[in-house]
Amino acid sequence: MKTIFLLSVTFLLTQSLFAQEFDFFEPKTTIGGYGELHYNNEKIGDAPSKAIWDFHRFVLFFGYSWSEKWSFKSEVELEHNFVKNGQGELELEQAYVNYHHSDLFGFNVGIILPSIGLINEFHEPPLFFGTERPVYHNLIIPTTWFGSGASIYGNYNGFDYKLTLFETLNSDKFSLSQGIRPGRMKGFKPDASRFLYSVRLDYLNFPGLKIGGSFSFNNAKGDSTSIDITITEFHAKYDANNLTAVFEFGNINYNSGELRASRGYYFDLGYNIASIPDWNSKIIPFVRYSDINTAAETLSGGNSEKLYHFTEWMIGLSIKPIEQIVFKLDYSERTRKSDDRKSKFLNLGVGYMF
Amino acid sequence: MKKLTILFLLLNAALFPQDIKENINRAIQSCFGKDIQVQYEKVKIEQNLKKEIETKVSQKFFSDEIYFYKIFNDKSLKGFALLDNVYGKSLPITFIVMFDTNGKILCSEIIKYREPYGGAIQSKEWNSQFIGKDDNSEFAVGKDITGISGATISVHSVTIGIKKLSILIKSLLKK
Repeated sequence: MKTIFLLSVTFLLTQSLFAQEFDFFEPKTTIGGYGELHYNNEKIGDAPSKAIWDFHRFVLFFGYSWSEKWSFKSEVELEHNFVKNGQGELELEQAYVNYHHSDLFGFNVGIILPSIGLINEFHEPPLFFGTERPVYHNLIIPTTWFGSGASIYGNYNGFDYKLTLFETLNSDKFSLSQGIRPGRMKGFKPDASRFLYSVRLDYLNFPGLKIGGSFSFNNAKGDSTSIDITITEFHAKYDANNLTAVFEFGNINYNSGELRASRGYYFDLGYNIASIPDWNSKIIPFVRYSDINTAAETLSGGNSEKLYHFTEWMIGLSIKPIEQIVFKLDYSERTRKSDDRKSKFLNLGVGYMF
Repeated sequence: MKKLTILFLLLNAALFPQDIKENINRAIQSCFGKDIQVQYEKVKIEQNLKKEIETKVSQKFFSDEIYFYKIFNDKSLKGFALLDNVYGKSLPITFIVMFDTNGKILCSEIIKYREPYGGAIQSKEWNSQFIGKDDNSEFAVGKDITGISGATISVHSVTIGIKKLSILIKSLLKK
């Protein structure tokens, strides 16, 4: 009896001592956000040019940590500033419970972002070149891609993995001009009898470099179609020594229907010229080349595989007075491959994150 | 009785892993070698100095106290270590910076990272960038410190946190 009593006292004393001495965690609410205001001027072919102002995204993050292991994270987004008659969108882009066991293993479940491509999970404006997100991240990997799901993640020796079980796409909505983009269910009552399965692996232990890829499979279904798709993508970003270089390539295969493959890639190259006079702000001129074909392979073949193929050159400037604020300017020319039609875009923007 | 005690201590350690304490010891030994003696105290940062450093680097201290280690080898002082925390996106990041007797950084390590994203900040490769820096160094992400894609906020917080300690150690050395 005495022994048990002594052990219990020791136990309680040692635990409270260890716990107090190095216990830095306190339950905490976190608020964050990002936003971006754009000026878009576009001239498609011979049509007159059109210019608009667009507060494209206003996003608030709310999170709460109950303990070091259990937390909640969310992201609510208002797109285009106003919602009416199908214009503008109010979206719950993230809302999940996270369990972080250790570096090796954690999981989350709720409304999540599949880990496909560089931008879907990390889409704050200061993190990418160009006022609008790269066209690759509109038409090949459709960002922001969010919905119901769960994922397991971890990091070991520089290798960062994520396995995701995610809501299905609606195959009725796949299109030659936009690939899988219109098929996103956005967490709105998706069919729970099928899933998108995704695995992503990155390597991060070379300073400044992130390199990796992902593979996803979905037996997508709609009211009238059922199409198995695979998404294979490769991504690399190097950001060090004042140099930023990005490359991404993605391919989507469809096993039935007219559309059989969507394919595209882009690369960015930028250099922080403010480093030459040793200024603290960043002034980064950049160049981007994109090659996009949402209908790279079709059942009909021939010319139908050229209709949605275009290339685009962009030159632009990102000015970051501090790391969390960016002013952007870019000009791009898009050439449609089937008829050489040229479209021109001039964009200005300001973005922030906190 | 002996068996029971051992079992009890093992259970105790398993239920409440003292990973922070173990990681601190391991970090100090990997920087200074195993043949060392360590003195440790919690130091209260003087209010004026605290404010001055916070204004200079635009980041608050995690608390009024800091963990200060003195490292000896055969009674000769080899260097110092400071343990502190900064906030990542929402959780504290516990880190330690080891200095030589002049306040130049010898090593730095993340002792505990709690965020789901940005775990790569714990790599030796990233931390080795701080070696040789002192209170006069720039500590600017994208210039003398390379960032990590997907860990923007953590990288900034820790970089400024290390800068803060580099300034603080100089004041502690003067005492």
